[in-house]
Amino acid sequence: MCKGISILRAKIKQELYEQHELARRVTLRGEQEELHFMYTDPVVELPVIHHGQLVIYEWGNRGNKESRLPRTGWCRHESLKAGKWRWLEPELVEIPADFGLEKGVWFQIVEGIEGVVVCDEHEHPHVYMITKPASHYFATMTKHDRMPALINQEI
Amino acid sequence: MIGHVDADCFYVSAERVRFPHLRGMPVGVLGNHGACIIAKSYEMKAAGVKTGTPIWEAVPLCPQGVYLKRDFTWYEVLSRKMLAIVQAASPRVEFYSIDEQFYLARDWTLDTARRLQSEILQRVGVPVSIGIAPTKTLAKLISDTSKPFGCGIVLDQHDRQELLAGRPITDVSGIAKRNAARLAEHGITTCDQFAAADRAFIRWLLTKTGEDLWWELNGISVLPIQMKRPEHKFISRGGSIGAASRDPARVRAFVVRNIERLVEALTHYKVCCDHLILSLLFTDAPERTLRSSLLGSQGDFDALLEAALHLLPLAWQPPTAFVHYMHVIAANLRPVARRQRSLFEQPKLEDIKHAVNSEMGRFALRSGATMPLVDVYGDAANAYDICDIYGKSCF
Repeated sequence: MCKGISILRAKIKQELYEQHELARRVTLRGEQEELHFMYTDPVVELPVIHHGQLVIYEWGNRGNKESRLPRTGWCRHESLKAGKWRWLEPELVEIPADFGLEKGVWFQIVEGIEGVVVCDEHEHPHVYMITKPASHYFATMTKHDRMPALINQEI
Repeated sequence: MIGHVDADCFYVSAERVRFPHLRGMPVGVLGNHGACIIAKSYEMKAAGVKTGTPIWEAVPLCPQGVYLKRDFTWYEVLSRKMLAIVQAASPRVEFYSIDEQFYLARDWTLDTARRLQSEILQRVGVPVSIGIAPTKTLAKLISDTSKPFGCGIVLDQHDRQELLAGRPITDVSGIAKRNAARLAEHGITTCDQFAAADRAFIRWLLTKTGEDLWWELNGISVLPIQMKRPEHKFISRGGSIGAASRDPARVRAFVVRNIERLVEALTHYKVCCDHLILSLLFTDAPERTLRSSLLGSQGDFDALLEAALHLLPLAWQPPTAFVHYMHVIAANLRPVARRQRSLFEQPKLEDIKHAVNSEMGRFALRSGATMPLVDVYGDAANAYDICDIYGKSCF
């Protein structure tokens, strides 16, 4: 699967950076700064390209029992196709990312990950990462049987 | 003088050409099955990750490392660009391997080497190290020691002695573990000891190949720059089969896949073979290699597959052993044009397969016996491997 992503700092507008207090997410392991978004973070959120705009939305529903939204951060491609999310009127979006993390393994993401945005009862948007069965290669790399639905990329 | 151009951590550098944000990061490129590191950046190397390390051992050593899937098609594109630049700079160039070239150095100053280095960096984006010396072996040794992004020249006796002094003999390309152990039994462990040893003794111990290296380390060039790949003595296809298996259908499917790849290579080089060798490596039993004599010179799928499947149960001993590597090797090669043809030869299914795959893509039409390898064929990256890059002289 994908428990976290990293995106280059340079891809995030300063306004968005300040609005969401993203400074706490900054890390440096190469020549360019990155922002890490992990499902285990105190504030669970992801960058999303929605209606052509790069925004930051809450990542799934980690622990709100009151919410009508599924209590997870991921959406199986199979269940989406089977119509199990239809009642939430999901919108397909792109989660831009440069790297993904699963079971301690950082893998490269070329464009991004497919996601869906759904709204909770207060009309707040939440993003779920779409997953599919892992390829043999990804499963060997990460020892996980699911992988994110990568855009125009095969691992 | 002979120059040697060697790309610095080539696969990683090639990835950094198209993904510049990987610069400065610990990066590892994974092999065919996503399990082992086949190339690593200097940052990852500094964390203790070595080539061949499985990813599950690399991650604890380098948790911030990024692991990439290999893409030999892209690496070949950059390799050929590098080759073209070296060819423009020299009249004699050997395409030694995907990331190395030997060339005739007409001008052997550091400035010239640095100009070539800059040109490759500027036009291809890949950093290289360059060595210039009187022989190929010394040139390769000095470029290796100049890494990363360095240039070195062996001009005279003093430079040569300085290069060889105390350097492990295993640093010399062509002296691997087995020969190193033989030499060590006679107290030879370093390059300078090897060069100072008796030539006849080295020949006795390591045959002509060893003697050639002895001349080369002593500054006498005996290994020429080969502009054209020498004729093959063997052609081999195979490698890891991923997770070790004792499933007969899966192992058999890999034999079929490797025979199909071997037939492609034989067709490319316009050769056929008199013998087929099957080599199996097990995780829990000693390696076994068996040879089959073919009925006449063969290069077609049916004949080679029949021989390979005949060898499979004989080589797979004990039959409960887990297979994890295999090679099918065509030996006693001869040009197809000189093959004794049968009176009863007819157009083969193989010809149709070749025609279809030329149009539709490699493996679009393949043997049904490969069906158990859905995972392998389901990944387009498996359609192109390092050995599919033709024209290199090293293998």
